[in-house]
Amino acid sequence: MKTQITELFGLSVYTDKAVYVGDIEDVVIDVDGKKLDSIAVGNLNPEFVDVKGFRGIKIPYRMIKSIGDVVVVRHLARAFKPQEE
Amino acid sequence: MTKIFSRNLSRKRVMSNDGMVIGVLKNIMVDLDTGQVVDLIIKPDQSFNTEGYRMDGDRMFISFEAVKDIKDYIVVDRYLSKK
Repeated sequence: MKTQITELFGLSVYTDKAVYVGDIEDVVIDVDGKKLDSIAVGNLNPEFVDVKGFRGIKIPYRMIKSIGDVVVVRHLARAFKPQEE
Repeated sequence: MTKIFSRNLSRKRVMSNDGMVIGVLKNIMVDLDTGQVVDLIIKPDQSFNTEGYRMDGDRMFISFEAVKDIKDYIVVDRYLSKK
């Protein structure tokens, strides 16, 4: 599906286990590869993502499962928390 | 590897590799299934002759294939942009 990149701004991001992650604030473009690199997500869910002094997180485009009225990413609980020792 | 936030691109000027100002970037078309960036959507400069380019109303489309580099300007290849 082809769409304008501004249509993505503000979409809510959920994991495939229906956990709210945040909202899309920006999209990172890989100019040399001519493809989307990642989405920048802000307004994060503090219960799911550890945000110590960060405004948002970048989620690689390959982690996105689908984009429609909301964005669904793969649920990798450990990806959003610092690794425990 | 040049990676750039798309919000930084809005209203950036587009120039061809022979030094002509083409216009101002308005939006970007992406393919969500493949993750490919497809087209630049440009508001052409008043002095720019848009003949031979893909147009939709007052908006002009240039394939992202034509993009050489993006720094202060977006530089597109003069020949690749005309299709």
